Amino acid sequence: MQHKKSTLRLNLLAMFIAIIILQTSIPLIGYIPIGTLDITIIQVTVVIATILMGTLDGAIIGGVWGLVTFIRAFAYPTSPLAAIVFVNPIVSIFPRIMIAVVAGMTYKALKNRIAKRSVSVSVAAVLGSLTNTILVLGLIYVFYKAKAPQLYQINLKDLLPYLLGVVGTNGIPEAIFSGVVTPLIAVPLGNILNRRGR
Amino acid sequence: MSNFLFGRYLPGESWVHQMSPQSKLLLSFYFVIVIFFANNIASYAALLILIMGVIILSGVSISYFLKGIRPLIWLIIFTVLLQILFSSGGKLLWHFGPFSITDQSLINGGFIFIRFLLIIMISTVLTLTTTPLAIADGVQTVLKPLKGFHFPVDTLALMLSIALRFVPTLMDEMETIMNAQRSRGVDFGSGSLKHRVKAAVPLLVPLFTGAINHAENLSTAMEARGFTDSEHRSKYRIYRWQMKDTISWLVFLAVGVLVLGIRKW
Repeated sequence: MQHKKSTLRLNLLAMFIAIIILQTSIPLIGYIPIGTLDITIIQVTVVIATILMGTLDGAIIGGVWGLVTFIRAFAYPTSPLAAIVFVNPIVSIFPRIMIAVVAGMTYKALKNRIAKRSVSVSVAAVLGSLTNTILVLGLIYVFYKAKAPQLYQINLKDLLPYLLGVVGTNGIPEAIFSGVVTPLIAVPLGNILNRRGR
Repeated sequence: MSNFLFGRYLPGESWVHQMSPQSKLLLSFYFVIVIFFANNIASYAALLILIMGVIILSGVSISYFLKGIRPLIWLIIFTVLLQILFSSGGKLLWHFGPFSITDQSLINGGFIFIRFLLIIMISTVLTLTTTPLAIADGVQTVLKPLKGFHFPVDTLALMLSIALRFVPTLMDEMETIMNAQRSRGVDFGSGSLKHRVKAAVPLLVPLFTGAINHAENLSTAMEARGFTDSEHRSKYRIYRWQMKDTISWLVFLAVGVLVLGIRKW
């Protein structure tokens, strides 16, 4: 039985990685363009992985997302912002891992206190999404405030309000979206997995 | 669709095709690092000549590379403009509000453009001449030293190749689900945030359910064939280090030393 479990875990992780790769390359299921904003919904996948499979596995999925962002920042950037900011692996990878850590801890803490499962999932998703936004913002601020980055000799101090503005305006709708959508997906999926007697 | 990894592989028998994936992967990383050391015309020219040589050796028509750059062209132009308008230093040529153009910033803008071009070229060469599965294999070989720290390299590589195998499958399913929802009248292209949220949920739930089904079926199939762990698997294709890899590395290392020699310190 132990084997069965570890093989299933391997395959589930592989499927989540495949979904992450898919979401980073197809706009509609990875990014929702609203006006000039591009709202990411990939953090929803990370939170779902965290809730279904635990914090460690969620962190792996978050790390994969970060890695894809990091590589794409060099080879195939999604936006000028990404090309400038995400070439720093601490900005691109670390916040994505922390999504799972925060969401996992929140969910664990709330699971037994709140009767309705969807409420604790929703709170975990909102906090996870905000973690991403706040950490990316904070790390951009820390890294690019003092010195010009190595890659581009841009005077980023002048650009900083703009960068923070863009990420900030994305962060709020992203958090709302995660809070609404994650329980709608995670709860039925959890039921499916449970019903099959995992 | 912006696709940077899949459906780009072109089968072939060229020099670059025959190199082992692990050395192609490492050479790409090495090349990107060398790019960041280049800082004057001579060093960029050396790298441009090298990448032209690689493209010729890959046997892929240049139009594929131009096609790869086209979706990125506005982004590159925007970044170059940012670079030109917001950097400081050098002789001031034009000034308006927060914007200023100096001779230094114009030169740097040109360099940034070439730098983008070089990185996109090398990554395009890699994905045009290497299948995603071969890349996963290359990752496994490159990460092998980490085994000493009990890092599950083989499990990771297996996971990656399963994931890469299933990306096209999930993409097809995605297409089917979208068409199914469209036929029920769902409009994916427009509307407010609330409307978009409502459109996204009936896409994501079947996608995830399908993925979980795949995972379960695959687990059963793997175990029926005696899969116990990923450490002791044998391989269908074995990529060996060849003479071609050694020669390529020597050329790349020579250019790297050259760039270090002629760059402005």
